[in-house]
Amino acid sequence: MDQLLQTLKDGVTLGSLYALIALGYTMVYGILKFINFAHSDIVVLGAWLSLTIAAKLLALMGIVDPPAWMGAVVLVGAMVACGAVGFTIERLAYKPLRGAPRLNVLITAIGVSLLLQNTGQLSALFGTSPRRIPDLLPDTTLLSIGQVQLKLLDVVGAGTAIALMVALEWLVFHTKIGRAMRATSHNVNVAALMGIPVNRIISFTFVLGSMLAAAGGFLWALKYQTIKQTADSSWVLLGLKAFVAAVVGGIGNVRGAMLGGLAIGMIEQFGAAYLSSSMKDVYVFTILILVLLVRPSGLLGKATIEKV
Amino acid sequence: MNGRAWKNMASSDANLLSLITASRPGAAPTLLRSALPVVVIVALAVMAQVVLKGLLGGYYADLAITIGVNIVLAVSLTIVNGFTGQFSMGHAGFLAVGGYVSGAVTYYFSLTQWGSAAAAGGRLSGMPLSTEGLAWLGAGDVLFPVALLIGGLVSALLGLAVGLPSLRLRGDYLAIVTLGFGEIIRVVIQQSGPALKTPEAAEQAGVLGMATGLGGALGFGGLPKYTSLFWVVLFAGLTMLVAYRIKTSTSGRAMLSVREDEIAAEAMGVNTTRTKVWAFVIAAFFAGIAGGLYAHKLGVALGPVDAGFQRSFDIIIMVVLGGLGSISGAALAAVVVTMLPEYLRAVADYRMIIFALALILMMILRPKGLLGVREVWDADLWRGLFRRGKSAKGGGK
Amino acid sequence: MSLLIAQGVSKSFGGLKAVQGFALELPERGLYGLIGPNGAGKTTVFNLLTGVYRPDEGTVKLAGRELTRLRPNRIAGEGLARTFQNIRLFGELSVIDNLKVACHLRCPHGMPAAVLRLAGHRAQERALAERCGRLLEMFGLASRAHEQARNLPYGDQRRLEIARAIATGPKVLLLDEPAAGMNPQEKKELRTLIRSVRDTFGLAVLLIEHDMGVVMDLCERITVLDYGKVIAHGPPEQVQKDPKVIEAYLGAPAA
Ligand SMILES: Nc1ncnc2c1ncn2[C@@H]1O[C@H](COP(=O)(O)OP(=O)(O)O)[C@@H](O)[C@H]1O
Ligand SMILES: [Mg+2]
Repeated sequence: MDQLLQTLKDGVTLGSLYALIALGYTMVYGILKFINFAHSDIVVLGAWLSLTIAAKLLALMGIVDPPAWMGAVVLVGAMVACGAVGFTIERLAYKPLRGAPRLNVLITAIGVSLLLQNTGQLSALFGTSPRRIPDLLPDTTLLSIGQVQLKLLDVVGAGTAIALMVALEWLVFHTKIGRAMRATSHNVNVAALMGIPVNRIISFTFVLGSMLAAAGGFLWALKYQTIKQTADSSWVLLGLKAFVAAVVGGIGNVRGAMLGGLAIGMIEQFGAAYLSSSMKDVYVFTILILVLLVRPSGLLGKATIEKV
Repeated sequence: MNGRAWKNMASSDANLLSLITASRPGAAPTLLRSALPVVVIVALAVMAQVVLKGLLGGYYADLAITIGVNIVLAVSLTIVNGFTGQFSMGHAGFLAVGGYVSGAVTYYFSLTQWGSAAAAGGRLSGMPLSTEGLAWLGAGDVLFPVALLIGGLVSALLGLAVGLPSLRLRGDYLAIVTLGFGEIIRVVIQQSGPALKTPEAAEQAGVLGMATGLGGALGFGGLPKYTSLFWVVLFAGLTMLVAYRIKTSTSGRAMLSVREDEIAAEAMGVNTTRTKVWAFVIAAFFAGIAGGLYAHKLGVALGPVDAGFQRSFDIIIMVVLGGLGSISGAALAAVVVTMLPEYLRAVADYRMIIFALALILMMILRPKGLLGVREVWDADLWRGLFRRGKSAKGGGK
Repeated sequence: MSLLIAQGVSKSFGGLKAVQGFALELPERGLYGLIGPNGAGKTTVFNLLTGVYRPDEGTVKLAGRELTRLRPNRIAGEGLARTFQNIRLFGELSVIDNLKVACHLRCPHGMPAAVLRLAGHRAQERALAERCGRLLEMFGLASRAHEQARNLPYGDQRRLEIARAIATGPKVLLLDEPAAGMNPQEKKELRTLIRSVRDTFGLAVLLIEHDMGVVMDLCERITVLDYGKVIAHGPPEQVQKDPKVIEAYLGAPAA
């Protein structure tokens, strides 16, 4: 019973994190139809920026224990910075390739990813050794059921992720710019003919995705505290799982990404708890293969036929 | 329109077509021409081992071996990413599979048969013979290629298992599946147990125990170091020969057509799924061979990181910079990418940043890579290089 | 019996019924036309016949053999070849290699023979070069055999697409707007070309074309599509006078 509860809790907290990151993949794929490999590196950047901002603020104020509002400042700071980076990347690297074969865009994305990973490791920036983020939240236990403890950290983490997703859902489905995003995702050319400023919508999508990624990085840092070097393979696995979440949910589908994120988080945690924890990365991958075999369009995605 | 040509054709296209469908070998002696390049490659490999090694000296001979391994990797990845235009990002996964499988074969075979994992000698590896071999070959001269072959085959089988589900689909799922594959291989290798050190322990553990005793996170040390200039030149040559022969055959043209336009290829009778899977399996096979060569190289400690994405990205960089689809381009890029950091310190420190920028700029300025699908010996390449403007935009669509 | 028979072929995309109950009987050596305003579903019909799209309903038969559920490459193997409205050549490949690819499905010697350079492979390559060279001569492209296809002028690209379709050794040739973007002189040559192709290779041809001059001159019978439905079928003179056809065209400015 304890184990079940614990696993459920872990599944939800991890799943909401995956969902947050998956949204960035799915939004960009929806509009530009390519896998933005650099997305997971924005997550990493978000984590490192959170750490840097927190440490700088503390040093500036000359205190050790951060006040309660600091977490919010760090989050917003990281999101704004990553949004700007996302904007720049789109303008410099992807925009010149509008209309180029998908393979070229994919390779560019790999290039951008490599660039971010290896620039981050320069000693002038984040360096190559793991660092710990200051404790932005007190280690308070809100609720314990048997052995299972629900901590402030869990609630804030999952709460932030869910709040951001609700906000995004509202933005995409209930605002004018959201409608423009959906129209662009449906058909870029038609949207352009209808007078939608497609390039601005694409930039906006990148900024939005990058901000969510930054939030993901921030929450990751809160949850795991130790942040590894930017080219560490664990980040690639994180990005991979978030992407699998997007595929499972139906790539291009915003609600699907949330659902997929939760599903992947659960599968990973239940697999780790009940089968073997050292193989937890393998389950997610197996799910990807199964989905591609059985339902390549994902849970909520619609199969589309390429127009010839 | 050419009136005479039409008159001639009137009765004969059916004949010409049947000439293809029934293409019977002519009387010309082809065996020599087919086998000659192989003979040349073997001769070059022997010369490399006997003459070149001495000329180069230890450090450069070692570098040459690394380059050779990278050529095998880059050229094999060219068959998938370059010929068929599918994007595999887990080539290092196959490298590791080949390395670990062939390593397990040589290590445990030596251990159980000869009581020690140390190399049992091999003339082609430039080692003295310590156990009695065949007539004049050492035991290692037989064991090593057999192990390489097994590594390549296991790798190819895994390629089939990974390729079938993902290559059916249009789009870039292959990229993500293969990236995942490499990482999974890495994770799985990390879970393996320590390598068994004595013949008794190996005996006791049985085949399964040996197959899972691969050193785990610490790496698989103590493999016999068979890899020599001979073996590397041999396999680099063979890989390039096979790639070239594929490229200039119906199967290769089918691959290129898939990359150019999958829908048109299918409409012209190309079985696109089969074509892609074949390319992927062949690439996995040679990556497995490269893994075996790498694993048995002096100074290498085969480890889980060799399956990881960074290694895969290294290979991708070579393939993309050289030209997507160019065998000679990939080989050249393998040479340059391997040597550059050795010669330029600045490059060594900022190696990956430079290559990343090169990838991005290349995609914007010269999207097909340096050589495109062409080879250095293609005449129209040289014309093409000087007449940039028109071809720079690329992409037949 | 007719060579190509389509019955009740339908396809929807989401809510859009792109093609409904399409029927056609194309006899051997027939030269038929398929016309209709933009968006009528003509290209979709080609995609359904050649297996690029799967029909929701209906059957397609070629020489008595069912094609309906086959993959496009198998359908090409059965003898149905096509060109594309927006040219889809293999741009980076040489002109002659474009044709060689199209011979792929008639080639008995595959990868092992190629890797070992067996005698069969060599004989096959010789036969391929011979046949594709001859085809290029016929289409006036021989001098450009080794250029990249994407560097050809537009009219040559259109002709190369037809040559490539023929290289598959088809029984039926489907041409999707082959005259689009051509000048009057090129159009005139194209007419002769299509007729010669039919006569020389003994093919049946189904032609989508907007240029009424070309269609009326070439086609023995014409099928008219509008909003996915066949609204008329018959000889050119008859179709031309059909009030439904006139209405469909006057209602559609883009035609
Ligand atoms: N793959 C597809 N997905 C969605 N709609 C399609 C697809 N293919 C064609 N259509 C639609 O079907 C209709 C018929 O198109 P098409 O056959 O190309 O017309 P035509 O060739 O007669 O001009 C159009 O409205 C087009 O938008
Ligand atoms: Mg059309």
